[in-house]
Amino acid sequence: MNRTMHRIMPALVLGALALGQPLSADPARDAIINQLKAEAGVSSFSAERGKQFFHARHSGGKPQTPSCATCHTSDPRNSGQTRVGKVIEPMAVSRNPSRFTDPKKVAKWFRRNCRSVLGRECSAREKGDFLTYLSNL
Amino acid sequence: MQITDPTDSRRTSPSASPSTGPADGRSAARAATRPVWDAFIRLFHWLLVAAVTIGAVTGLVLGPTWLKLHLLAGTTAAALVLARIIWGYLGGRFARFEGFVEGPLKTLRHIAELRDNRAPRHVGHNPAGGWMILFLIAAILLLAVTGTIALGGIFKTGPLGYAISYDLGDRVNGLHNWLAWGLLGLIAFHVAGAIFESLRTRENLPLAMITGRKRVGRGDILPPARSAHPRRAALIMLGTAAAAALIGITLAGRAVPRLPVARLDPTYASECGDCHVPYNPSLMSSDRWRLLMNSLENHFGEDASLDDATRRQLTEWITAHAAETVDTKPAHVLAQADPANPISLTATPFWKKAHAAIPDSVFARKPIFARSNCTACHGDAETGMFYPANIKIPEETTK
Repeated sequence: MNRTMHRIMPALVLGALALGQPLSADPARDAIINQLKAEAGVSSFSAERGKQFFHARHSGGKPQTPSCATCHTSDPRNSGQTRVGKVIEPMAVSRNPSRFTDPKKVAKWFRRNCRSVLGRECSAREKGDFLTYLSNL
Repeated sequence: MQITDPTDSRRTSPSASPSTGPADGRSAARAATRPVWDAFIRLFHWLLVAAVTIGAVTGLVLGPTWLKLHLLAGTTAAALVLARIIWGYLGGRFARFEGFVEGPLKTLRHIAELRDNRAPRHVGHNPAGGWMILFLIAAILLLAVTGTIALGGIFKTGPLGYAISYDLGDRVNGLHNWLAWGLLGLIAFHVAGAIFESLRTRENLPLAMITGRKRVGRGDILPPARSAHPRRAALIMLGTAAAAALIGITLAGRAVPRLPVARLDPTYASECGDCHVPYNPSLMSSDRWRLLMNSLENHFGEDASLDDATRRQLTEWITAHAAETVDTKPAHVLAQADPANPISLTATPFWKKAHAAIPDSVFARKPIFARSNCTACHGDAETGMFYPANIKIPEETTK
């Protein structure tokens, strides 16, 4: 490695770190997450818990859809697919920046898919963890 | 009206001319032939054989996915027959109807003579063969007419799409089918007659329809001499074709009543189309749609619930364009629901029958995935038309 490389290396590292920062810079998405924080009575959500929730096999829902990953695949950065073959855009905000910016849409799909997968409404904390995981992926 | 040719001794073989090279042993035999079937008749005959064969195979064997080729074959056959009719008035002696169409008494007498093995040899069509030509022409024209009516009524396309109801088109299609078998029966008799006459007169008649020449014999019966008017005939044929095309295109351009809604409501397209093909509302009756819209919480194994305002708005739009507002084939054939699952299209008896030959593995493979994914194979599924020519079963994709 030459000297120039040595000199710009810290800048490169910093830049890479900056890109790795949470991408949930959209005010609409922040508002949705903050609203959930208020509902759940917590000050922060856990991306790790959200990840487990996303990949877990749940019971109580409809047998065709035991997990989020059933339709959204095990890597939410990829496109998913409905049971009848329609493409679902990636869930990860890094791949699909418009995700989770429309509160009505977010509410609709949590309502439908929580019932389909878990057989019940999701709690505010489950929703917040889920959004935090997908916003920082 | 035909005349016996007592003195015909013209030797009209081209090989008799000195310019065709050295004479061989066969030239003597060839010299005793005369031209009978002109170039138009021969071309017409074999093109018609091809068109009718394609029409029969696509219509009776291959089925509706071959509709485009079937229509091409049928249109070609009808055009050929119309041209033949014109040539029947303006062609040479062997081409003209007056030369081979005899009354029933003469025809029966000819048949009786055949039975008693004392029938003379007709150089052109014999009276029985002449009637066969008329029957074949009539059958093909009737097939073209009934086919056009069926196409218009069932698929709402072609010159009569604007005028014919589905019910009428469906009934006429039954007639079209019977006529097709009738034509095949006529062809069987036509071929049998040609074989019989070939054996009886010791002349290969199918070959004569290729070379155009037939042997000259004593006591041959010839139609009265007439000169052909090929230029006038060609002009009338072209004029007829142009007029038919003009009328056909003009009629085909007329607005077709009771078609499915052309533009899907944007809310419908996004709310329903997010998960599956936005089915055209004309595929189900409004009472079945209401059942479906009132059970979205359990929608084919998923929760597809909507907020009440959206649900009401969509129900109103769907039922305003439901099956009872259109006259398409899908609206009619899918009307009979499965009582156990009335909101399912793939559970209807028609759907099951129409897709019975397609194995499960085809539905399961990418990019089809499910029976309910109509658009995967029916390119025009969202229009509600499901025109058979738009069917294309995709190959399996690996991505």
